[in-house]
Formats: sequence, structure tokens, C-alpha cells
Amino acid sequence: MLVTWKYRPRDTFVQRLDPRARLIFLACMILAVFQFWDIRFLLPFFVISLTLYFLARIEWHDVRRAWIFILLFVTFIVGLNALLSGRGGPLEVLQDVSSRVIFQARILTVPLVGWTWTVRITVVKAVFAATQLVRILTMAILAIPIPYTFDPSRYGVAFRQLGLPDKAAYTMDLAFRFVPTLGRDFGITLDAQRARGYEVDRLKGGIISRLRRLAPLVVPVTMLAIVGGEDVVDAMDLRAFGTRPRTWTVRLEYDTKDRLFIAFGVLLVVVSVALNILGYGDFWVPSALLAGG
Amino acid sequence: MEEKGIWKFGTREVVYGAIGAALYGVLAWVTNVVPLPAAGNISFRPAVAVLVFFGVAYGPWVGLLAGLIGNTLGDALTGWGLYWNWSVGNGLMGLIPGLAVAMIQDYRSRRGITIGIGFSALGIAVGMLFASLSEIFVGGIDLSTALVGYFTPAFIGNLVVVIVLLPILMVAYQAVAAGRSR
Repeated sequence: MLVTWKYRPRDTFVQRLDPRARLIFLACMILAVFQFWDIRFLLPFFVISLTLYFLARIEWHDVRRAWIFILLFVTFIVGLNALLSGRGGPLEVLQDVSSRVIFQARILTVPLVGWTWTVRITVVKAVFAATQLVRILTMAILAIPIPYTFDPSRYGVAFRQLGLPDKAAYTMDLAFRFVPTLGRDFGITLDAQRARGYEVDRLKGGIISRLRRLAPLVVPVTMLAIVGGEDVVDAMDLRAFGTRPRTWTVRLEYDTKDRLFIAFGVLLVVVSVALNILGYGDFWVPSALLAGG
Repeated sequence: MEEKGIWKFGTREVVYGAIGAALYGVLAWVTNVVPLPAAGNISFRPAVAVLVFFGVAYGPWVGLLAGLIGNTLGDALTGWGLYWNWSVGNGLMGLIPGLAVAMIQDYRSRRGITIGIGFSALGIAVGMLFASLSEIFVGGIDLSTALVGYFTPAFIGNLVVVIVLLPILMVAYQAVAAGRSR
């Protein structure tokens, strides 16, 4: 089984950035977006995320599945939850009883006891749902491109140079290097078990019995990796791993665009926190919509 | 036999943390390709058994790194984005079973397996609770959605996988460990 990364080298602005700058900017954006419930304040962040997404120039057929999943998730779980219940946001949305009703219907009445479930969509809840969609999509649009644009061989060194201890960063580096080998081992094991009549594609029985039947795949691959790991431990110990700080073959250096990118991220956080402290960015409903009723 | 201090972080922990992470990431990715049993909105990730097993066998650091890095790696393979809160949750799910490592002498014994499953259940509860509750801030969901929609299916699904597959992995590990005279 060939394990392939989603990453592909591309000559784009996003991929020319230092990976550390991208991680710092991502953290800054998350912090900044947390400060607001006002859609007018969230929209500029949405535009920034979308701009970065398009600058990454990821092919649609690569991200199609991820987008379908994210859009279904955002629409049905977050959007409908916000629209129907108003939960997940400020208290004024949850307690809203006074704003204009857009739609109201009795969905269910329990016989005998007479309990009813009525769906009541108000202007406040509709604006809140839109705000939530913008907020979540802003985060998702930032998260989706990372696997496609972040070189797997740069994770370890990037986190090391961000301050992660040497051994932990090297663990990350090593894990990414083990992936192709383990993928190959998994493929060999799968073929060997199929040759013995094991039908992984047609597991039968109940849930527990089907899970148990995955053992002929999971156990050999895991034990083979453990046995092979001893050789790696010995080889690293013989080279005195961990006795002194290790050197990395790649050394990341910030250039002007990376510094500007980080500065922009920090500026977004500072301005957002300041606006929040000054009382801006609370949940907002257009007065025209409220007055409409 | 090597000293079994649970917070030791040497070459062995680096290597097995990396192997655990790579296995967790690859198996998580494979389970997206190979059809898996599911009931309602509970999905089963057999890779979770491998994650907690690495904690139980090699200690908390290995479990933490395997979960933290393995989830990041799985995200990089599946291409569904990078979600730091679920990576931290997975790290906790590996770390807590690792606290049992000093209590288990025989990985084949009923006592050893019970301790392994008990600590793993605690790890799954803490890890998935962290990830689910953090979605209130990251994803903007409410508490009941976090608990009912995220935590409960993840906890039940992962627990079933661990109860079924962890004992098998522990028994196999005892044989491998005995074979190389740990």
C-alpha cells in the first residue's frame, strides 16, 4: 500500500513562506477571531483566510472531499444548531424571545402528555447562524490548506525552531520518515493475509467480532514495527543520540516577507484584543432587520 | 532489563514515540480506505487501540507524542486540515494509559490487561472530553452538542475498540518482549 502525502511542491506565496511564520500566523488568527461575535468584524478575517487559500493555489480535485465534509459539517451541525437552538454563542441569542419571527412550526406533539416541540426561527437566531458560519469557515479555510502546502520534512525542524525540545521535535521528524516504511509493511501484511484467505473487505459478524477480525492486520504490523524499532534505538545510541544538542540538516531562516507576515498576525491580535476591551465586537443584529417586524 | 522509570525520555522513547505516531497516523488513514463497522453516529477507529497500547507499553511520553504527532500526521495524510485541539486530545488519550506502565509486569496476565484497559478508558475519557469541550471555543458549538454529539460517540467507539483490540496487542507484545529478553 503506497502512502502518499497530500503535499506537493508549488511555487506559491504561501509555500515560499517560512513554515514557522505560517504556524504563528495561524495561532494569531485563531486568537483574533475568538474576540468577536459581530459578523462585521469577522468578515475581514474571512476575506484574509480566503485570500490566503486562493494564494495557495490548491487544485480543486485534491480538496474536494475535504470541502464536502467541512461544508456538510458546518451547515448541518453548526449552522442548523445555531439557527434552531441559538446555542453556542452569547446569552442574548439563547434568551431571545422578543425579536421578529421568520418561521415557526410545531414539529412534534407527544400524545397523552401533550409535550410539543416547536421550531421558532427568529431574526436574531438567523443572524447568529450566519455569524457562526462565517466564524467557522474562517477557521476551516485556514486549516484545510496546511496538509497540501506544508512540506512533511519541515514539521520537525519548524517546531524545533519554534522552541519544542530537541528530542520531541526529532520524534516528529522521525514519525514522518517512518510513514512510507509502515505503509509498505501494512501492504505486505494485507497481501500475505489475503493469500491465506483473509477477507478484509468483507468482514462479517457483529461489531465486536468484526473488530476482532482486524487483529490479523493490526497486530503483525505493530509487532513488526516494535521489533524493527530496536535496531533504530541501537543505531541511534551508537551514534550518541541525545548526549548533546543535535544539529539539523535544514535550518529555517526568516526573510522580510516572513517577518511582515508575522507582524501582520500580531497586529491582528493586538487590534482585536484592544477592540474587545473597548467594548466592540459583541453580537450584532442589523437594526433594519429588527425593526422590520 | 532496562530501568522502568515512567518519565524517562531517552532514545527508546523518541523512537517508539515516532513509531507509535506513524502507526497511528497510517492506521487512521487506512481506516478511511478500508470499510469499518459503525453503529449510528459512532465510528470505530482501530488505530486508537495501537495508540493506547504504545502508552501502556512504553510510558506516558511515548503515548503523548504518539497521539499528538500521530493525529497531526493523520491530518496531513487525509488532507482534512490541521486541528490542534484534537491532536492535544489524542495526546492525552495516549499519555494517561502510559501512567500504568510501571504497574504492569506481565502483559499477558488478567491483572495487567485490566490495568491497561482501565487506564486506557480514563485516557479516552480525558482526551476526548478535552477535544470535545475545546470545540466550544474553536468550533463555536454548545456544551450539550460537545457532550452528546462529540464526546459520547467518540468515547464509546474508542472504548469498544480498546476493550476488543488492546488485550490482543498486549498478549502479542508479551511474546515479542519475551523473545528479545526484555
